[in-house]
Amino acid sequence: MRGALLVCKKEFMELSKDRKTMFFTFLMPFILYPLIFGMMGKLSQKDVASRKGKPSRILLVDSTQVIAPVLKADAKSFELVAAPQGDVKQAIRDQKLEMMLEVDPEASAKLTQHKTFSLNATYDQSDDSSGLALKRLKEALEKQNTSWVQARLGVMGASPELAVPSRIQTTDASTPGLAVSKVLGAFLPYMIMLMMFAGSMQHGIYTTAGEKERGTLLSLLSTSLPRNQIIWGKLIYVFSIGLISVLINLASMGIAMGRMVPSVASTGGSAAQGLGALSSIANPLTLVLTFLLMIPLGLLFANFIVLMGTQAKNTVEAGTAIMPGFMVVIVAAVFSMAPGIEKMAFLPYVPILNVSLAVRKLFSHQANYLEYTIAFLMTVGLAGLLTWLSTRLLNRESALFKV
Amino acid sequence: MIQLTDVYKTFTVKDKRSRAKKQIEAVKGLSLTVKPGEIYGLLGPNGAGKSTTLRMIAGLMQADQGQIQVCGIDTKAEPEKARAMVGYLSTDLNVYGRFTPRELLRLFGEFQGVDAKVAERRGMHLLEKLQLLDFADVKMEGFSSGQKQKVSIARALLHDPKVVIFDEPTTGLDVLTAKTVLDLLRIMRSEGRSVIVSTHVMPMVDEICDRVGIIFDGELHGDAAPKQILETWNAKTLDEVFFQLAARSAAEV
Ligand SMILES: Nc1ncnc2c1ncn2[C@@H]1O[C@H](COP(=O)(O)OP(=O)(O)OP(=O)(O)O)[C@@H](O)[C@H]1O
Ligand SMILES: [Mg+2]
Repeated sequence: MRGALLVCKKEFMELSKDRKTMFFTFLMPFILYPLIFGMMGKLSQKDVASRKGKPSRILLVDSTQVIAPVLKADAKSFELVAAPQGDVKQAIRDQKLEMMLEVDPEASAKLTQHKTFSLNATYDQSDDSSGLALKRLKEALEKQNTSWVQARLGVMGASPELAVPSRIQTTDASTPGLAVSKVLGAFLPYMIMLMMFAGSMQHGIYTTAGEKERGTLLSLLSTSLPRNQIIWGKLIYVFSIGLISVLINLASMGIAMGRMVPSVASTGGSAAQGLGALSSIANPLTLVLTFLLMIPLGLLFANFIVLMGTQAKNTVEAGTAIMPGFMVVIVAAVFSMAPGIEKMAFLPYVPILNVSLAVRKLFSHQANYLEYTIAFLMTVGLAGLLTWLSTRLLNRESALFKV
Repeated sequence: MIQLTDVYKTFTVKDKRSRAKKQIEAVKGLSLTVKPGEIYGLLGPNGAGKSTTLRMIAGLMQADQGQIQVCGIDTKAEPEKARAMVGYLSTDLNVYGRFTPRELLRLFGEFQGVDAKVAERRGMHLLEKLQLLDFADVKMEGFSSGQKQKVSIARALLHDPKVVIFDEPTTGLDVLTAKTVLDLLRIMRSEGRSVIVSTHVMPMVDEICDRVGIIFDGELHGDAAPKQILETWNAKTLDEVFFQLAARSAAEV
């Protein structure tokens, strides 16, 4: 073991001599997360503010002036605009206005004759603000309809309540900002897994195929250090780099979140509430459980990388050999971001995918400790298996030395 | 003490054009002995099998057949123990560019089980002999090939090895430094170490080798004092022996 630690010490010494790599490995995350969170906070604030605050622009075609007074009465929600040049539908798609509303030309007559008249609303369903315009219109129209019905009932001498048999009262059960934390909950595990693999890969290739390429491996091999100790040293190094990457990313996330929450919360509004809920990401338990899960996963990654790196003749070849592994991680990570996957029953039993699923659930207040344990044990088993395999494969004399 | 008995090494390479696998018999039934206090020169043209032989002695490669012992330790049975006896140097071996010579020597001392302080003192002494002490604390990234070679020499001798294996030790060195290296090898001999060097520079062999093995196509042709070899081949210089060998192998084909 002494030899392995010496080799590992050598790797860290080499790393410490390279300022640029040190910076990108260890300091970047501390800039990255405040940036990401800052941007998300700003965006969601701006988005909500712009949609809640602005009236919907509506092109109203209402020759008998039945609907116009209704919309004009609510200037906060509606703004009547002139017909745009060219195609109206295109103008709606271009977000020059939110909706075109065409009212039956005989609306006034139909209303007095107690008949139904119709309205034609043209909007863009794919656009949130256009959707908001429709929602506002429906609400305004419902109110107006009720009052027209009540007027008709008055004429007949019936109770106005006849028009309103029931009334719905809604309460939003989502904790503040659940939506935002779900998005981040899917995104942050992706970042952590990717950062861990990328960090391990970069340094793993440097110390295995890189040493071969630079011609330094031969001097290491000519010493009395046993081969397996050299392999172990490199494995410990690559594994540590992965874990350090995770630690730094989690710490930076926690700090950035902790900073962000009070400062945004003081500005009020629902964006602040959203970030308030995110403070649970800075929750030590979430971070610790995530880190625990990353330990066997990191060992799995390190083994794979060292195995591929030592078998390769040069760094390019090593990169090519490791790429498929990186793809798997990216797929797993992207998969964890996909909506609705938590409902797939087999997912907790798929290696690597179950890790990203478990972390995602941790981050979005849906921790499932049974699934977490399954993912943990499976990854431990897999990492153990690969460690055993790579130690056996690499312990051969020929493993490290192929010119 | 170095002892090789009937050693074989074959490489399998792939011909990219015909896509056929080819067997290269790099070493064919080689036997030789280097006694303590002796400098043995392996002399042969490019691709003769010199480096392969030296790598096997250094424990970087395993022989397919035959036995290799250093100081009576079998390199196959006890590879680590055998490697501990050996100081190995080769031109296709590089130094860690991010380290200074001092850092490198301390580290390799530890790898070889020598106390870092002792290793540093010994290393600095060697660097002084090789006239590189001024660069002991400079990052090796910018070193010339000769400067790197000097650091490698110091690295190879750091742990006081009983067996010294130098594969083309003077390549890339100027005449002055080359002479220093040869002097160093003479000291090694006087200290009772077994030294084996490879080269295709004839004068060097003449100057320092007690015995010479002419290696050609993986086989040893004669193994004697330089003078004796010239006598048996009826040649004036070792170059001439080479030409004769080449002619003989051409006639065989
Ligand atoms: N790792 C290897 N894989 C395949 N073939 C090899 C390998 N190492 C050596 N060879 C082949 O074995 C033969 C002997 O090579 P070796 O390096 O021992 O020659 P050498 O005597 O040191 O030559 P030089 O003077 O050019 O250094 C050559 O034909 C070489 O191509
Ligand atoms: Mg050679």
